[in-house]
Amino acid sequence: MSSRKKTMLKVIILGDSGVGKTSLMQQYVSKKFSNQYKATIGADFLTKQDVRVDDRTVTMQLWDTAGQERFQSLGVAFYRGADCCVLVYDVNNAKSFEALDSWRDEFLIQASPRDPESFPFVVLGNKIDVEESKRVVSQKRALAFCQAKGNIPYFETSAKEAINVDQAFEVIARNALIQEESEEYSSDFSDPINIHLDNERGGCEC
Amino acid sequence: MASTSSSGVLLFAKSKVYVHPTSSAKDNIPGFIALVRPPGGADKDILVAWVPESQLRSDEISAYMRVDLNMDDGLHATREVLVPMPQLTSISSYAFAVPMHRIYSIMLRPPSLGWWWGSVIIHTRSEDVIPALFFHDAESQSTILQQKMRNKTFTPFAQDGDLFWGGDQFMKYLRKYTIVEKSTFEQRLYLINPDPDDLLSFSPPNARVEKVNNDSLSKIIKDARWNVLERLARVTRFSRRAANEVMGNSPPAVRAMLNVPEVRQLGDDFDSARVYLAKWAMSISEEAERNKTKIVWTDVVGDHIGSMAGDILSVDDRVERRNEVSRDEWKAFFDASGRLRVTFSEVKERVFHGGLARDIRSEAWLFLLDVFPWDSSQIERQSIMAAKRDEYFRLKRQWWDDIDRQQVDAVWKDQRNRIEKDVHRTDRNILLFAGEDTPHPDPDSPFANIGTNVHLEQLKDMLITYNEYNKSLGYVQGMSDLLSPIYAVVQDDALAFWAFVGFMNRMQRNFLRDQSGMHRQLLALDNLVQLMEPQLYTHLEKADSTNFFFMFRMLLVWFKREFKWDDVLRLWEVLWTDYLSSQFVIFVGLAILDKHKDVIMEHLEHFDEVLKYMNELSKTIDLEETLTRAEVLFHRFQRTVDAIDRKNREPSNPASFPTTPLSPHPSMNGHVGIGLPGKTLPLMPEAGKVIISDVLRELLSKEVIVVNDTIPMEGYES
Repeated sequence: MSSRKKTMLKVIILGDSGVGKTSLMQQYVSKKFSNQYKATIGADFLTKQDVRVDDRTVTMQLWDTAGQERFQSLGVAFYRGADCCVLVYDVNNAKSFEALDSWRDEFLIQASPRDPESFPFVVLGNKIDVEESKRVVSQKRALAFCQAKGNIPYFETSAKEAINVDQAFEVIARNALIQEESEEYSSDFSDPINIHLDNERGGCEC
Repeated sequence: MASTSSSGVLLFAKSKVYVHPTSSAKDNIPGFIALVRPPGGADKDILVAWVPESQLRSDEISAYMRVDLNMDDGLHATREVLVPMPQLTSISSYAFAVPMHRIYSIMLRPPSLGWWWGSVIIHTRSEDVIPALFFHDAESQSTILQQKMRNKTFTPFAQDGDLFWGGDQFMKYLRKYTIVEKSTFEQRLYLINPDPDDLLSFSPPNARVEKVNNDSLSKIIKDARWNVLERLARVTRFSRRAANEVMGNSPPAVRAMLNVPEVRQLGDDFDSARVYLAKWAMSISEEAERNKTKIVWTDVVGDHIGSMAGDILSVDDRVERRNEVSRDEWKAFFDASGRLRVTFSEVKERVFHGGLARDIRSEAWLFLLDVFPWDSSQIERQSIMAAKRDEYFRLKRQWWDDIDRQQVDAVWKDQRNRIEKDVHRTDRNILLFAGEDTPHPDPDSPFANIGTNVHLEQLKDMLITYNEYNKSLGYVQGMSDLLSPIYAVVQDDALAFWAFVGFMNRMQRNFLRDQSGMHRQLLALDNLVQLMEPQLYTHLEKADSTNFFFMFRMLLVWFKREFKWDDVLRLWEVLWTDYLSSQFVIFVGLAILDKHKDVIMEHLEHFDEVLKYMNELSKTIDLEETLTRAEVLFHRFQRTVDAIDRKNREPSNPASFPTTPLSPHPSMNGHVGIGLPGKTLPLMPEAGKVIISDVLRELLSKEVIVVNDTIPMEGYES
């Protein structure tokens, strides 16, 4: 029995309402975009098959949640067992950027990962297709934030124009896989799984 | 009772066994199937009889019921019950009685997919025409008790592996008095006291063999022998490619079915084997329902999905959906002065069972949403309308004219932006809201480049006004979904605003900061499922899904995302009547769970699978069927509560309920509430009595629950 167990990576996507969480997921999984995805109520997820990470093939389960703070208390049901958390803001909306920190805290409280310090986050600044004059959060400011929070990988994306979406999710998948394997390693020694613990954690890739 | 000469001993009786003379349910005739021994008769003389209820006096009915209910555990009746000998034949009714030795064979058809009711067909040696007898199990007290008992002891299946049904009990008693041989030739055929010749051929000359159309689904499934499903079911996680490989080896007919676009599409955005399977199983069972009069389902189906066995829908004839209320009918409710000439509860009853015609909604909804009092006259309504319009424009002007605030108040701007974003993604597929041809009034809006239309702008203004009007609650996501149908129907922003306020009055508990209103509804659903669907509940516990979050979206916006637009309008007007319960929406949720419970139990093992399956039901749910089912479930719930209350009032017998919270509590109906630490029990044991939990009892109330958010809005949200 040498075949590897199929790996399922669970990724949670968080951020204020309307920053483009659903759009990013749809662009990544289905390669499509609509201006009119309905506001997410409750939670839903999409599954992305056959994602190559180095020599591995994994499946990603991407969880989309409601953005309004009032519904955050539901998170506890959805966050558990996450392997990576993606924080999304809209580069044209300062408030959505300022909220990243509390989204991160909220996630760590509700998901309570074993080792919060090393739990992988990725930050996405979305909607860079909008005209430059509307942009209110500079790349520099975003990078400073990511650096301060322990070198969180940062990407500037457009779900609409499919800019940087695949690249971002590649890093998300890789970091999620590292997290998943470290969790398995520490939780189940008897599991006959080949563990690649490479320490390469994508830094800022912009 | 009757004189002994014409009386026989009632050996067995089962209630609610029907003759279906026509295909219309209203022609069905309820009666008893019975075994009656004539005075001094031997076993071979015992009559197998069917007696319509209408031919029995009330004391005779109670004699039959007594025998029926005594049959629960053993084969020994406590005491002989004498009844008048049934008629051998009847010209005026379908009643019949056949001595045991005249019976050649009996065809048994257990309830299964496509057959709501199990039935027996008796063939006599002289080939008399005898109507098929249909066992309406869910109406028959003794069968219900038996099923409950079997569920409790985890032996829900009868000998042959099918779910237990009324016909099993009949056959059990028959075996006591005669030899019954199963035919090897015909699956469901039993030979009664067969000759050696019969045994040899095992193929009775007059057995009606059910012909199955070769193209029918049952044939397809028979061909597949469910191997495909079984193979898939063993795989826990597999890629779509792997699934396709398995499917590729299936018989052509199955492959053809998999090529149906809807089935195909299932695989497009996710691959969880169980979700895939569950949907497939459901699509098959729905197909079967559509063809239920044509298809004979075999035990193959019963063994594998067992859905719909004991389907409650089949058995409650009192629930009937009606035609929608037409414009003429609506107008006829009112007299010349425009006052109701009937009671408002009559109107509500009518709307609850039929809904409203499209061309009367804009008026009728204003009553249902408390803009117009039910006892108002036409003239009064005119002045109410004028006042409401003034009031709306006054409220709107308050924020509209406050330029300072619009520019500096960050909280206000934030709420406005949120509202605008949501409005621009609410029901854009509806023609009214589709257009983008109007230039945006505010060049700084994120939507300035996209354009808007007058109706979106109206929605936006109404929601901003509501955000001001109900300051403590404010705008919360989901509200735009609740407003758009009202606006689209009423087509007058001021009146629609007040209708929306009326709707929000009951809906605001869904949007509270602490989510307590949603929590309480999910808890009610939890308790309701524990009480009404204990097996499903046990399964959901194993699947880590008893937080019922998979119902969150459905309850938050009243199934707005689950039903098609026209169905949403119909559903909401039905729910607004509060005709049976102000929380009938919970029963709609229960009905959907009930419909899918077999598939859920068979195929879905984890929280994510259950959530996905439920989310993907969106736009596939049949509304009228769901409403019928919900009503049946409500009545059943009400009867259960009544029964428990009655039992509790009996001073003689309170000890029949156990008092420890962690053991099952058999109620009179045999429902079992299984307690978990930290969970509310639907049935609270208390001093030897069983008390229905508060959240459950609340479900019987027609009083709308209004909970205000008391914390005023402050600072940023999210």
